[in-house]
Amino acid sequence: MTQNGTAVRLSGVRKTFGAHTAVADLDLTIEPGTIYGLLGPNGSGKTTTIRMMMGILLPDSGSVELFGGPPDFGRRSRVGYLPEERGVYEKMKVLDQLVFFGEIRGLARSMARTRAEEWLDRLGLGDWASKKVQALSKGMQQKVQFISTVLHDPEMLILDEPFSGLDPINQDVLEEIVLEEKERGKTILFSTHLMEQAERLCERVCLISRSRKVLDDDLKELKRRERSGVVAVEFEGEAPSVAAWPEVLDAQQVGDAFHMSLHDGVRPEKILDAVLAEGVSLRRFELLEPRLHEIFVRHAGDPGDDDAPSETGGAS
Amino acid sequence: MKQVWSVIRREYVERVKTRAFILSTLGMPLLMIGIMAVVGFVAFLSEQSERQIALIDLNGQLGERVQQALDRAGYDVELAAPETSAEDLDQQVLDEELEAYVVLDDTTASEAVFRYRSKEPPGSVRSQLMRSAVVEEVVDLRLGQLEDGESVRRLFEGGSLEYEPVGLDEEEAEEAEAERITGMITGIAGGLILYIMMLAYGAQTLQSVLEEKQSRVVELVISSLRPWQLMLGKIVGVGAVGLTQVAIWIACVALLAGLALPSLIAAASDFEELAEFRQYLPGPGAVLLLVVFFLLGYFLYSSLFAAVGAMCRNLQEAGQTQAPLIVLIIVPFMLQMMTFQGNSMPWMNWVALFPFFSPIMMYPRAVMGDVPAWMVAVSIVLMALTVWGAAWVAGRIYKVGILSQGNRPSPRELLRWIREA
Repeated sequence: MTQNGTAVRLSGVRKTFGAHTAVADLDLTIEPGTIYGLLGPNGSGKTTTIRMMMGILLPDSGSVELFGGPPDFGRRSRVGYLPEERGVYEKMKVLDQLVFFGEIRGLARSMARTRAEEWLDRLGLGDWASKKVQALSKGMQQKVQFISTVLHDPEMLILDEPFSGLDPINQDVLEEIVLEEKERGKTILFSTHLMEQAERLCERVCLISRSRKVLDDDLKELKRRERSGVVAVEFEGEAPSVAAWPEVLDAQQVGDAFHMSLHDGVRPEKILDAVLAEGVSLRRFELLEPRLHEIFVRHAGDPGDDDAPSETGGAS
Repeated sequence: MKQVWSVIRREYVERVKTRAFILSTLGMPLLMIGIMAVVGFVAFLSEQSERQIALIDLNGQLGERVQQALDRAGYDVELAAPETSAEDLDQQVLDEELEAYVVLDDTTASEAVFRYRSKEPPGSVRSQLMRSAVVEEVVDLRLGQLEDGESVRRLFEGGSLEYEPVGLDEEEAEEAEAERITGMITGIAGGLILYIMMLAYGAQTLQSVLEEKQSRVVELVISSLRPWQLMLGKIVGVGAVGLTQVAIWIACVALLAGLALPSLIAAASDFEELAEFRQYLPGPGAVLLLVVFFLLGYFLYSSLFAAVGAMCRNLQEAGQTQAPLIVLIIVPFMLQMMTFQGNSMPWMNWVALFPFFSPIMMYPRAVMGDVPAWMVAVSIVLMALTVWGAAWVAGRIYKVGILSQGNRPSPRELLRWIREA
């Protein structure tokens, strides 16, 4: 299918609930075929934004476009949407439920069944197909819901916190699927409060904090721009006293490595000269890129609500 | 349309599979049969078990008559010699050789008052049976002493109103009578079915809508279906479950009439009268009309119940909000009960034209021939228009409501929903 123009475009979107402003003056554009991350702490307006994209909520002002037009029924049906609230028919059997969702999304019954079975096997739920959904754990229910999102092979996936509540193994499985779907040409938008995940998957990120957009950029571009100039070095054997080197402004030991910030105007390669002069062997030399978390904190203050452990330093 | 079909199927299959449906469908007839059987059996048992009763006749005229009468009623009665002393019989009662004994004396012969001596008071079945046996014998005895006793005796048979149809021959009159009874049975059964269906299955539509809204499944569904498609699928699916249930009940009755009854009659001639029951079963016209009234009434109420479900956040709220709908169903049912008891007034025929009352009030009138055909036709047209209007309003409320997680709307907000949806 051809994808002309943008997948999603929000301009000047604002949504309030009573006195609370959930989303303020948000502009964002999602190009087709990319993985786009909507990042921010809990309560920052991610879900509200997504619900407006899906036409579930109407903005108070501004415009929401899906595939170049209002998110009406025809356009919504081109999206696989995984809401944050894990709504399932608890009393239905797993396979029946998936077949139902496949059918209302336009698949023939037999096709829906075949695909559902394939997906269930792939996500390790094959044995649960004829169990009632309520017998499944929360994580399993989430996987079932994810299957219902991708079953009809939509051209775009909008996933609201798809990874929360999953164990690391299942998070990996899901990440793999997301990347695969991207390879198949799909546009993927997902929201998360886990910066690490976004860092691994996204090509472009939008950081939201307290209902406002803080950053919206290509992830590589962002990292290059935000580069801190910190150099990480690990030595074989005895480490020299790096803090005394003239190029180094400040040095901290992190595990076996030293993280050195350099004086203004000192190029990182200079450190290699110093190493050679010292006559020690190098195990690792790396220009540290800032973690997304750091960038976020730098621009918006500590997200606070972040579930992930602090993740400064220690890149490899 | 294919998607609507999927919604209908899901709604139908998931409901028919539930234990609640199976229990209520099979349970209703079984319960009724069971209650009748238990009541009969208990009464039978209690009368069978302790029957050793003695009879002492101090008057000398009634003893044998009453003994035979009680014998016919199934009691094992021993007529004691008149010289047997009361102390003796009392002792037998105390020793539990005898359960009770009955004393007939001169007062019995004149006023049918007799004494029943026992450690326990007689049960209601027993006292009724004994009393009527004794009264009958006393009356018989006294009438026998009169000259025109025979004619007076006939008075006690209750007299009779003999209807003589004017302008009809006997055969036609019999047909008309059968038709009247058929109408009555069909009207009562149909009215009851419509009442149960609108109330029970309307409420199920509400519940189904509310569940989807509460679990937020609706957000998943609505990205693939238009709200009206979902609502329609739900209403049709739940309604089909209701029809299935009624069809099973009707099939049970038909089975009973067609198979069980003839063999019952063959087995025991006592049941012969039941054979007449078959001729009172309604014809296809009445059944078709029932389906029409069911469809209109059910769609009318279930679309409004769906709107109520979409407006509310939980069952408690829904319980309050649906109250007006419940009243709209119960009021005509109560008016209809009055009609069945023969207390119909002409103005009620006009009340039956009110579309919200029509299913329960107009259908029985139509099959009982209480209203002219044009009135039934007008009522169907009015109902169809009302269904159309209600579906329009309900569809708009539903569309906004299912995705709104806020407070239940005030009447003013509701109007805004309807205008802006």
